[in-house]
Amino acid sequence: MSNKRVVSSTINGQQVEFLTEPQQSLLECLRDTLGLTGSKEGCNDGNCGACSVLINNRLVNACLMLGIEIEGKDVVTVEGLADVHELHPVQEAFVLEDGLQCGYCTPGFIVATKALLDKNANPTEDEIRFWLAGNLCRCTGYDKIVRSVRLASQLMNDAKEGLQ
Amino acid sequence: MTSKIGVDVSRIDALDKVTGKALFPADLMSSDMLHMKILFAGRPHARVRSIDVGKAESCPGVIAILTASDVPVNEYGLINCDQPVLVGPGSNKKGADTARFVGDQIALVVAETEEAAIKARDDILVDWVDLPVITDPYEAMKPDAPMLFESRDSNIIKHNKIRAGDVEGAWKNCEVIVESIYHTPWQEHAYLQPEAGISYIDSDGRITVEVAGQWVHEEQKQIAHALGLTVDQVRVIHPAIGGAFGGREDVSVQIVLALASWHLHERGISRPVKIVWSREESILGHHKRHPYNIHAKWGAASDGSILAAEVKMVADAGAYEYTSAKVLGNATLQSTGPYDIPNVSVDAYAVYTNNVPSGAFRGFGGPQGAFAAESQVNKLADKLGIDVVEMRRRNLISDGSIGQFKSVYPEGVTIRQVVEECADRSNWPITQVDNSLPSNIRKGYGFACALKNVGFSFGFPEECWAKVELHGGSEIERVVLHHAGAECGQGAHTVFVQMTAEACGVPIECIQLEAADSALTKNSGSASASRLTFMAGNSIRGAVDLALENWQSEERPAIGEYKFVPRQTTALDTETGECDPNITYGYVAQRVIVEVDIETGHIRVVDVMSVDDVGRAINPIQVAGQIEGAVVQAHGYTLLENLVSRDGYIETAQFSNYLIPTSLDVPERVEAVILEYSDPQGPWGLRGVAEMPFLPYAPALIAAVHDATGIWFDEFPLIPERVLRGIDHSVYGE
Ligand code: FES
Ligand code: FES
Repeated sequence: MSNKRVVSSTINGQQVEFLTEPQQSLLECLRDTLGLTGSKEGCNDGNCGACSVLINNRLVNACLMLGIEIEGKDVVTVEGLADVHELHPVQEAFVLEDGLQCGYCTPGFIVATKALLDKNANPTEDEIRFWLAGNLCRCTGYDKIVRSVRLASQLMNDAKEGLQ
Repeated sequence: MTSKIGVDVSRIDALDKVTGKALFPADLMSSDMLHMKILFAGRPHARVRSIDVGKAESCPGVIAILTASDVPVNEYGLINCDQPVLVGPGSNKKGADTARFVGDQIALVVAETEEAAIKARDDILVDWVDLPVITDPYEAMKPDAPMLFESRDSNIIKHNKIRAGDVEGAWKNCEVIVESIYHTPWQEHAYLQPEAGISYIDSDGRITVEVAGQWVHEEQKQIAHALGLTVDQVRVIHPAIGGAFGGREDVSVQIVLALASWHLHERGISRPVKIVWSREESILGHHKRHPYNIHAKWGAASDGSILAAEVKMVADAGAYEYTSAKVLGNATLQSTGPYDIPNVSVDAYAVYTNNVPSGAFRGFGGPQGAFAAESQVNKLADKLGIDVVEMRRRNLISDGSIGQFKSVYPEGVTIRQVVEECADRSNWPITQVDNSLPSNIRKGYGFACALKNVGFSFGFPEECWAKVELHGGSEIERVVLHHAGAECGQGAHTVFVQMTAEACGVPIECIQLEAADSALTKNSGSASASRLTFMAGNSIRGAVDLALENWQSEERPAIGEYKFVPRQTTALDTETGECDPNITYGYVAQRVIVEVDIETGHIRVVDVMSVDDVGRAINPIQVAGQIEGAVVQAHGYTLLENLVSRDGYIETAQFSNYLIPTSLDVPERVEAVILEYSDPQGPWGLRGVAEMPFLPYAPALIAAVHDATGIWFDEFPLIPERVLRGIDHSVYGE
């Protein structure tokens, strides 16, 4: 007998319904059930941030949430940032500043950066480092990630000004 | 035509990686795949009397359970096949019934879902006979110690000796002698991507394993050996690799995945098999950086010339050999540093214990040796009252120097240049006093330098293959590069493309790369030993030259295939250590500034300058990234990362208790200074960079802590408890 439940939510702007066991993590649902493998598993216990996603614009570790908890919620993963034609400014900034090496941590950092810049358009270096302390990177030493966030903030501010 | 090298180029895989499209091994899915879990030994030393899989086999969803008796040739290893693929009775390998560390693999469970595999794994009954556990390498070296391998009469894997000059006779000429015992810790690679992979039979009937590794052809060879197949029957592909740092140089899931697929294939089941290790399985299941005990006695004359160095060191190799003998060679070399010392005696041992195996990790024995050597030089300078940079000036090697191995250093020795540049840029010697600090904060400055080999050492065969196809009519329109080198995140594939474009004189966009698939390439060697850009560059240049010749003679597509074989190195003489150890070196110097809180023991690294001679920076932004990344890994090694292993059990197998640096734990400023003194053997003059900046960091930081507190720490990580203990001892005595 299966205990599976139906969950309906919005993921990356699309209305989605999927089946999940009540004990399955959101990360498993995203990756295994929905095929959204951009979010990574690095620890499965909330210590690395590789699974960072946004739920109703709040940054969370998808490995620490259950799939059933997103019923009726709005989820954004790394796959939901770029539109068909262009990268999100945060992604563009990571490419330009070489804010990645192996790239395994990168989706988590990009989602976390978007969450930061949505709240605080001009973070200081300390604010950036503090905000990103939940995301581990073993390759870069973080300097180029911090630079990427700075450039992303500039690009997003420029885009806003361009609109005015 | 503008240059394609020496310029910042965005990495070719960046777009896929920022959008989440890049597929790492765990991202490879197929609707009919099966899932595999491994039963690990969980005991540091024990014999398996029997394994009962009856109950497990009847669990719902279980497809297969494999044990030692299912492995055709139950042994593997990169240098020495001393490790069973699966531990248990009934295989053809003597001693394969014995687990020698907690991470030995006992049984494989293949099932419809991961949950079913876990459930069945937990239902496997193993009848164990515990054996004496030996975790201290000094104990393990004793002649009457219990042997890890019945077939051996010693647990010593390798003993390297250097005998140059007359050390005993030299002590009397020394004004000062410094004797210290250093201890360096384990280090876990902690690449963000835990081991994972998928295996299947490809359309040509080959067992195919897609996995994160460092050397497709070596992995292919090891799989073929264990399965009793020819290499042509095995294919290894690297998808995106989530960091490696030496930690994927030895295989992890490769052979067991292939074994499962082969077994299913023979049973007529053609479904892919997937495995994903948890973080804990990763930390328990793969090797670590070797802990070393290093006893160093060095003496110098009053003018600062170092007259003699005597070093005895013991490396804990853990349960299997892995690359221990090679790492030991490099530590042997590093233990007397980049100095011209007339009288040298080194005895270096790598020893089996029931700890987790030790093996390759960025620096490969270098950080351990360099920590002792650089600390010795800093202490001698301190005792003599000579500035540490001046002390180095009086002892460093230069072109034409003949080292302790009685062979001339490869041309292009630039250790003096990097030291001078680092001293110059940091206004060394630093004399100003910072009066603004609160009374509990002590500031200090430290300096160290190092060399690191580029390419395999001590006679290990070195070669690198490339093939280039030039397509087009009158102009070259498209170039296909075939190369086996692994992209682990270091940016190798991007520089391959740059170097190909440069050699062909075409835009980067014209280059198409076919890489890291054993079926499409020949052996290009591993992503290790800071070798890949150097070796690949030489092989690409060779292949392009041949292809261009064929292009001239109207061949379309014009093809060039080339195997670069560098100058042959030689192994250490067993009595004297005489040899030609390395092809060439890269050189580095670092200055570190710290503030030590003497009340809390907390160390804040305020500023790091790393000056690296890379010969030629093909992609400067990536080179800077290598330097920054290496410094931060070394920072974790020196201050934070504390792998706890008790009686062979690892107690820190999560990121919650094995701490690696976050964005808040890193040096406040890292300045990467890139120097470009051509290496005569390097393509476009380049050397290597990946490991070099790791080496001087621990000794430079510890010298800075000494400058701040007056205390020499001969052991790290410098967690606050250790710092406070050191301060208490110096104030209140032992
Ligand atoms: S996988 Fe979720 S925090 Fe590491
Ligand atoms: S780029 Fe490899 S972990 Fe961050």
